[in-house]
Amino acid sequence: MNIIGKSKKNNTFDAIVVGSGMTGGFAAKELTEKGLKVLMIERGKEIKHVSGYDTAMKEPWEIEHRGKTSNLSAEERWANSRFWGLGSEEVVNHLTNDKENPYIEKRPFDWIRAYHTGGKSMHWGRQSYRWGKHDFEANAKEGVGIDWPIRYEDLEPWYTHVEKFVGVSGQKEGLDVLPDGHFLPAMPLFAPEAYFKNKMFEKLNRPVTVGRVANLTQPQEIHTKLGRGSCQYRNKCQRGCPYGGYYSSLSGAIPAAMLTNRLNILHDSIVSEIIYDDTKQKAVGVRVINQHTFTTEDFFAKIIFLNAGSINTAALMLNSKSGRFQNGFGNDSDQVGRNLMDHQLGSGATASIDGFEDDYVFGQRPNALYIPRFRNWGNDKQTSYLRGFGYQGGASREGWERGVNADGFGDDFKQSLTKPGPWSIRIGGFGEILPDPNNRIFLDPEKKDKWGIPMIVTDAAFVENDWAMRKDIVSSAVEMLEMAGFKNVTPYDRPTHMGLGIHDMGTARMGHDSKTSVLNAFNQVHDCKNVFVTDGAAMASSSCVNPSITYMALTARAADFAVKALKKKEL
Amino acid sequence: MNRREVIRNVALMLGGTFSAPTLLALNHRDTATKANINLGNFSLTSSEQMLIAEIAEIILPKSITNGQSSPGAKEVGVPAFVEMMLKDCYKETEQKSFLEGLATLQKVKFLELNKDEKSGVLKLMEQESKIITGKTIPFWRLMKELTLLGYFTSEEGLKASFDYHPIPGKLENIKISSSQKSFAY
Repeated sequence: MNIIGKSKKNNTFDAIVVGSGMTGGFAAKELTEKGLKVLMIERGKEIKHVSGYDTAMKEPWEIEHRGKTSNLSAEERWANSRFWGLGSEEVVNHLTNDKENPYIEKRPFDWIRAYHTGGKSMHWGRQSYRWGKHDFEANAKEGVGIDWPIRYEDLEPWYTHVEKFVGVSGQKEGLDVLPDGHFLPAMPLFAPEAYFKNKMFEKLNRPVTVGRVANLTQPQEIHTKLGRGSCQYRNKCQRGCPYGGYYSSLSGAIPAAMLTNRLNILHDSIVSEIIYDDTKQKAVGVRVINQHTFTTEDFFAKIIFLNAGSINTAALMLNSKSGRFQNGFGNDSDQVGRNLMDHQLGSGATASIDGFEDDYVFGQRPNALYIPRFRNWGNDKQTSYLRGFGYQGGASREGWERGVNADGFGDDFKQSLTKPGPWSIRIGGFGEILPDPNNRIFLDPEKKDKWGIPMIVTDAAFVENDWAMRKDIVSSAVEMLEMAGFKNVTPYDRPTHMGLGIHDMGTARMGHDSKTSVLNAFNQVHDCKNVFVTDGAAMASSSCVNPSITYMALTARAADFAVKALKKKEL
Repeated sequence: MNRREVIRNVALMLGGTFSAPTLLALNHRDTATKANINLGNFSLTSSEQMLIAEIAEIILPKSITNGQSSPGAKEVGVPAFVEMMLKDCYKETEQKSFLEGLATLQKVKFLELNKDEKSGVLKLMEQESKIITGKTIPFWRLMKELTLLGYFTSEEGLKASFDYHPIPGKLENIKISSSQKSFAY
């Protein structure tokens, strides 16, 4: 049932943004603030900022299974529950029901999804690091993948633009490996962490800093006018923050776009394909299937931003076939769906710390310490792998949980667990993954989901470089904790698949050449300039730092370019 | 009768020597001859419920410290919590391991033992649970973990045990005295 005639006018906007998450939100904000009438299309349910955070203010005893994953959650969220804690009632209803939205794992891939307003921006880890100059140059220097068509300088002003709006707390360090940004006051390191920082500097000349995190330590007017307030140090961000203490599309970008009165949002609406007009030689709109009624409706716009999340964006492109694009929209290069990357997660080391008995912390820090990349940097040269990793982690005093593995029971045992336990520390690596065309998603040629859309197949795994780096992540963590003089240093290396870093990216990469890449330097599809892809799909490499702030900076830059081009009638 | 004697007696009651994981071995022999337990519908009999209530209370008893009374595991609903968690969050292998542990304790008529004997049996189980290596989690570990979890996250247990600040509002390094309880949030 396609809309025709008069109602076509009602379904026509200046811009369509597919997705409401980290980059969809930012695209909608930028485009509406620059005067465009925007339709944002979200495939999942509506969650309203504050009132939709149904678990946010629950007391510990009101969470039925107290943080554990029930068998029912594990069955319904068979992929999401592979990530620690995502099966808990605290968050589980805000993550995609994998049973109802299945995908096919040709090779296992931990695909963590959140189909609702704001997408994964509601649940992200909030770590916000700029890429360094080296990150944009490495592919060309090392002959890996393809060269980035932009450099740090192209993105620098947009990082600042995003950081100001988002609100990033952090400490300036003056490091080339981790460029400083526009920061709100830093959160403190804890006493043993400050000791660790000094030891690492003294013994290895390695900097340790407090995490750069998108929580408001000191809200500015740009935040308060959207109703956002200071972080309350509850560290329950993943439930959604009623105070707007951390940035999400829900607390930041969407309210900002709403203030312009130029944003419309459709929920429960799956974009099944991009409508390409062979005569006009451009995309004219998108086809949408209602999640619940299964009815189809077309929407039209001058420009389209694809922000569905790397895997879904690529799948949407592959499913959009036309006379011009018989191999999938914008896919002349055959790179759509390929070069799927993520970050290494789940390995490092722990240790116990003697002393600091009278040091404690009031409040819960929604943040970690950060050790910037030191491998293949400066004078360090690794022979077994390229690129590097950073560590995130932190020290804390053990709680009652220590009693589970300790001997004893009874009155004294019970009393002892009411006091803070000894300090312990954990550092875990986030490692760069290289682009590999054989790591990919594609559409199953036969199987379809209940909306008649071909099912997504994941076909990706870590390769030799990734495994060599992972080994070093563990051994370097052990070395550093031992060098600091900590006790019981214990390596850990949890078996994971690609995907668990929840940083899936690379499936429609930017590049100079339309033969080897999908997007140009402004995130335009090479062969269809009025379509922009600005989510993680655009990435030509992955760096080792958390990606969201880079995605948002790319989005803001592309939106600025798009509006200028529209005004010049170039699109 | 001292503790050593109690344990020796328990071992004799269990009908075996005492070196390797006696209890586990016994469990296996026991369940091998038992009719199938319907684990898809995990539930406990009233005598099993009495047993876990007793053990939970031994792990975390009602107590009075410096004139302040603190509830025990039974009072804050730990026994029902343990049963609910096993049913909702654990797989058949763990449920079976738990039921086997209870069966062993019933065999030694645990509820009829005196205080020292009960304590001796549980200490024995604790030591054995560390020796047992296998894919499943031993009864004692399940029981202890769920008792602690249920107690310290219950409203009464949490508030009696910790310094509760659901909305801290600030973050700071502080110095504490040895009497400072853990903060809970």
